[in-house]
Amino acid sequence: MKKLLLATAVAAICSYPVQAEVDISGFASVMGGKLTSGSGVALFGLEPTFLANYPTVGVYEEDWTFKPDSKFGLQMTAELTEGLTATAQLVGRGADDFDAGFEWAYLSYVLNEHWTLQAGKKRLPLYYYSDFFDVSYAYLWIRPPADNYTWQIFNYTGVNAQFNYQLSDWSVSGNIYTGREDDAENKLLSEFFGTEPVREIWKDIVGGVLSLNRDWLDLRLTYMTYQNERYSGGQRVFWDGEDSRRGNFAGLSVNIDYNNWLLLSEVNRLALDGDDFDTYLLSAGYRIQQFTPYVSYADFDSDGEKHNTTSLGVRWDFHNSAAFKFQFDDVNDKGIGSNQVAGDSKAITMGVDLVF
Amino acid sequence: MNWFKVITLTAALTANTAFAEVAVIVHPSNAATLDQAEITRLFTGRGATFNNGNKATPLNLSESAAARADFDSKVLGKSSSQMKAYWSKLVFTGKGTPPKELNSDAEMKAAVAADANAIGYIDAAAVDATVKVVAKF
Repeated sequence: MKKLLLATAVAAICSYPVQAEVDISGFASVMGGKLTSGSGVALFGLEPTFLANYPTVGVYEEDWTFKPDSKFGLQMTAELTEGLTATAQLVGRGADDFDAGFEWAYLSYVLNEHWTLQAGKKRLPLYYYSDFFDVSYAYLWIRPPADNYTWQIFNYTGVNAQFNYQLSDWSVSGNIYTGREDDAENKLLSEFFGTEPVREIWKDIVGGVLSLNRDWLDLRLTYMTYQNERYSGGQRVFWDGEDSRRGNFAGLSVNIDYNNWLLLSEVNRLALDGDDFDTYLLSAGYRIQQFTPYVSYADFDSDGEKHNTTSLGVRWDFHNSAAFKFQFDDVNDKGIGSNQVAGDSKAITMGVDLVF
Repeated sequence: MNWFKVITLTAALTANTAFAEVAVIVHPSNAATLDQAEITRLFTGRGATFNNGNKATPLNLSESAAARADFDSKVLGKSSSQMKAYWSKLVFTGKGTPPKELNSDAEMKAAVAADANAIGYIDAAAVDATVKVVAKF
């Protein structure tokens, strides 16, 4: 009996290095671009600017820059024992001067064939592309349309339960999550929309995603509710005399990939303390062997802030693990006075996305 | 003369396409039946069991193997780049892990012959009695 135990233990130890193997994978984008024209916002003293990425404040100006959309990501996954894995993802973005940080760090446990539990730091899966926003190789454009992906918080720390079922011809998957995010110095609010350091807190986050896939059709429903607290320059921010406010986010996405045609769409609403912030996007592409030319329109509409972007571009899968992309963006900022964001702008961006 | 060359070339290409069949293979003891939809489900991470309830471990060929592109296009209906984009989305969001990759038909045959849960594919011409063919494309 003891011998058997010993033998089992030895076998377990011997096989341990194999089981604890760390898988390393990664992604990278090297993108350069510049404005071809832009109005800027005289009221803020803002020079002509194309705000390509709201949360990380990725901006293109009149000179060529490689910062806004370039990034490197490294993912390490360690399988600890059957069903338990630890994953960390280090991401360095040009918009942050390639100052790399852990964007994801979580433990994952496969409960059964259908359910997996995760705990730790993850990306907040609000919009369709939110949780793989940095992995540009995985989608059509240079970046998900900026008018939709405007929210200042994009991570959370908490727990997540994800599921996967098959119902006749439909694949049904999704997740339920809860957690919070306390961003000591929020980049978008501190640097772009304000002049003082802003601490942004999203707490009591509860959300869910439901995806339905069948053949060429992909449907996604998303909902999330959270409580917002904020400190500006160390002072608590009050909204109508209250020190916190509730936000409710809901979205629907319909994507079609049929006979080389790609149709991508998303419509979302954030109701924040009685105000509605509506966003949608519509993109169409047609695959001609390695080339996929596309057009896209995205819109943001609220009581004050209103803007849209029309984009034209092409994705060229010139290599099995890399794609070259070229995109032209035309931003129309319809906000009046202080409701402007960055004014009108036209810009070109090009470069390479890859995964390894 | 030139016409003759063209015709010969066309015939050669057509013949090549007809002969390069992909055989989806399992362990000889595996009694599960599989259609294209089920094979697609297993190789896209949307399912993890055979229709008889047994666990399924899909095995992929690496991109350097000839049958890989044929399998991706004929069975999954995607190019190898599309499959890579699909898996990157899942891998970097913690939603899935792509099948392990093997370098050749010979390695694939050996791996499937040694694992009762495995499902893989090889060039149909490389099939022998160590594995069982469940579908050909």
